[in-house]
Amino acid sequence: MNWRIVWTLVRKDLKLFFRNRFFAFVSVLGLFAYIGIYYLLPGSVEEAIKIGLIADELPPIFDELQEEGLDLVLLDSEAELEQRLLDGDITVGYGLPDDLMAGLLSGSKQQIKVYFSYDFPEELKDAYIILFRELVFMMTGQELNVQAEEVVLGQDMAGAQIPPRRRMLPLMAVFVLMIETMGLSSLISAEVEEGTLTALFTTPMGARELFVGKGAAGAGMAFVQAALLIVATGGLRREPVLILAALLLGALLVTGVGFLMASGSRDLMSVMGWGILAVVVLALPSFSVLFPGLFTGWIKAIPSYYLVDTVHKVINFGAGWREVGANLLALLGLSLAFLGLGVATLQRRYR
Amino acid sequence: MNPRRVGALFWKELAHGSKTFMFIFAVLVPLVVTLVVRLLLGTIFSGKPRLGITDLGESQVPALAREIDSLVTRQFASDSELRLAVERGAVDMGLVLPAGFDQQLRDNEQVEVNAYLWGESLLKNRIILGSTIVFLLREVSGIEAPVEVVPITVGEGLSLSWEERLFPLLVMLTIVIGGTMVPATSLVEEKQKRTLRALVTTPATVGEVYLAKGLAGILLSTFVGVFVLLINQAFGAQPGLLILTVILAAAFAATLGLLLGTFTSDINSLFTIIKGLGLLIYAPAIVYMFPQIPEWVGKIFPTYYLLAPIIKISQGSASFSEVGVELAILVALIVLMVIVLGWLGGRQAQTAE
Repeated sequence: MNWRIVWTLVRKDLKLFFRNRFFAFVSVLGLFAYIGIYYLLPGSVEEAIKIGLIADELPPIFDELQEEGLDLVLLDSEAELEQRLLDGDITVGYGLPDDLMAGLLSGSKQQIKVYFSYDFPEELKDAYIILFRELVFMMTGQELNVQAEEVVLGQDMAGAQIPPRRRMLPLMAVFVLMIETMGLSSLISAEVEEGTLTALFTTPMGARELFVGKGAAGAGMAFVQAALLIVATGGLRREPVLILAALLLGALLVTGVGFLMASGSRDLMSVMGWGILAVVVLALPSFSVLFPGLFTGWIKAIPSYYLVDTVHKVINFGAGWREVGANLLALLGLSLAFLGLGVATLQRRYR
Repeated sequence: MNPRRVGALFWKELAHGSKTFMFIFAVLVPLVVTLVVRLLLGTIFSGKPRLGITDLGESQVPALAREIDSLVTRQFASDSELRLAVERGAVDMGLVLPAGFDQQLRDNEQVEVNAYLWGESLLKNRIILGSTIVFLLREVSGIEAPVEVVPITVGEGLSLSWEERLFPLLVMLTIVIGGTMVPATSLVEEKQKRTLRALVTTPATVGEVYLAKGLAGILLSTFVGVFVLLINQAFGAQPGLLILTVILAAAFAATLGLLLGTFTSDINSLFTIIKGLGLLIYAPAIVYMFPQIPEWVGKIFPTYYLLAPIIKISQGSASFSEVGVELAILVALIVLMVIVLGWLGGRQAQTAE
């Protein structure tokens, strides 16, 4: 292996990449856009139900419920409640009659007004009507003779939910890696279209140097951008070496995919076609982090799952080497397999 | 302009173009986006708490739960299946109902149920699910609520679901990908492969080549546009007027595509321009997504005049007189672009010769 030739190839590819206006523009703009979007997304989760109550005093049972996720605000008038609803300060408003408890105890049916803002989803209104009915049952002490054994599955995140921006991070990392792969494939495709790949094979440079050079350029660019994204979004505060190792393995994996895409493409349009398909497939596991429960076990068959799961567990759940070690091993094996397969198919096609 | 030559070029465009990536992309993307939006808005983006039930007997609870609109209810065959679904977050809460559950409830005997709670479920979902489950059990045991609830809506305004808000973006995506991208990429590819120069050395003129490519874009865009409106059940009360509007919108998109194709010499530059113009093209659809933004903001962008009539006819059942002004502006914009295209095309013909 002649490392001087490899280094020359890497420098040449970096120059070519930034000469390609489309991919250079998309890469730089994309990185800034991802960081911008991250900070625009909500950094916290609104978990409590904010309820406005028109009543003289808070019924005792309501006071106890404040600790379980009900955020109650006592209001003086209907006008104030309506204004708070329109301003979005409260989710729903309940108007309690002055003599509610006395009426309930006497057994007569009481009328309660439930206030919704005009833009409150129609299909969710039932939930808040039912909620109030149950609160009234609790006020009157009418409990059901049911014993429920409740088991919390997974880490109980009540009060400490993962904000949407942190759930988006693995998806962004995969997107950044994949866009770079499209850049690498376009470089190879351009070399084929212009005939320079065949010319390169006629020089003393061996196939090994060529593929190591191309792979290093592609994986390097992908890794640097993904790492910059994670640094800018504060993802390296915990286990930085672990996160960087996962991103490096991810970069090697997408480089292998890039080689495969290049070997199956005729021109830049084909690269775009295969590239979009690859981005969609490799991004699927990120959606299982964004929308838990969307996919079943088959999602583990997609290689990027092991990258997404590692980044998600380390950044959002504080996992360490022990918890994600199996993921890293799987990612390493898959990266080597895709790199080997990509190099073999490219070599077979263009030699 | 020879109609036979235009026809031959048009068929060539369809036969060759239908195998290209962009053509397939233009057909598939709107369909996939429709399916994904429906899937996500029906469950995940609905904001509804999700309840899973395993009924080991013949309880009425699952059927009653399905009648409640504010819940997403799923039934599971076994305890282990339910537990797995809760573990991976497919449902927020899982309830295992033992055999004879309803009877024990009616007889006021103490009854035990297992409930699984997903650790990542929101507190508000837990509260709503908890109260709804108790409400269902009271329904089964026949206990009547001591209160009558009167819902009151405060304020006036348009309440749009996310499905309705995203629909204009889907329409725009459908019209633009098929109408703009297909003619633009086809024209640029002809330039890059130098087949455009070869074509104009035959009796075919640049105008005929442009017209054939534009017609292919209009046909594809109209076909996919109408199909997307059909599968979204958004055909409104004036189907004839809607189809005419979609054809005009497709003509606008195709003329824009030909203009972009004329301006650029390679695919890289074309994609760079499209990325740069993307926000301007899709801006009216983004304005529709947020009703807080005044409507006049959308009217600044030319693509508003292709989108607004389609939305008004499909969702508001507007008549011709109600969308007449927008359609007239759309036609005027198409004519203006055709004039610019004619001038640019003439210069291109001189270069090609």
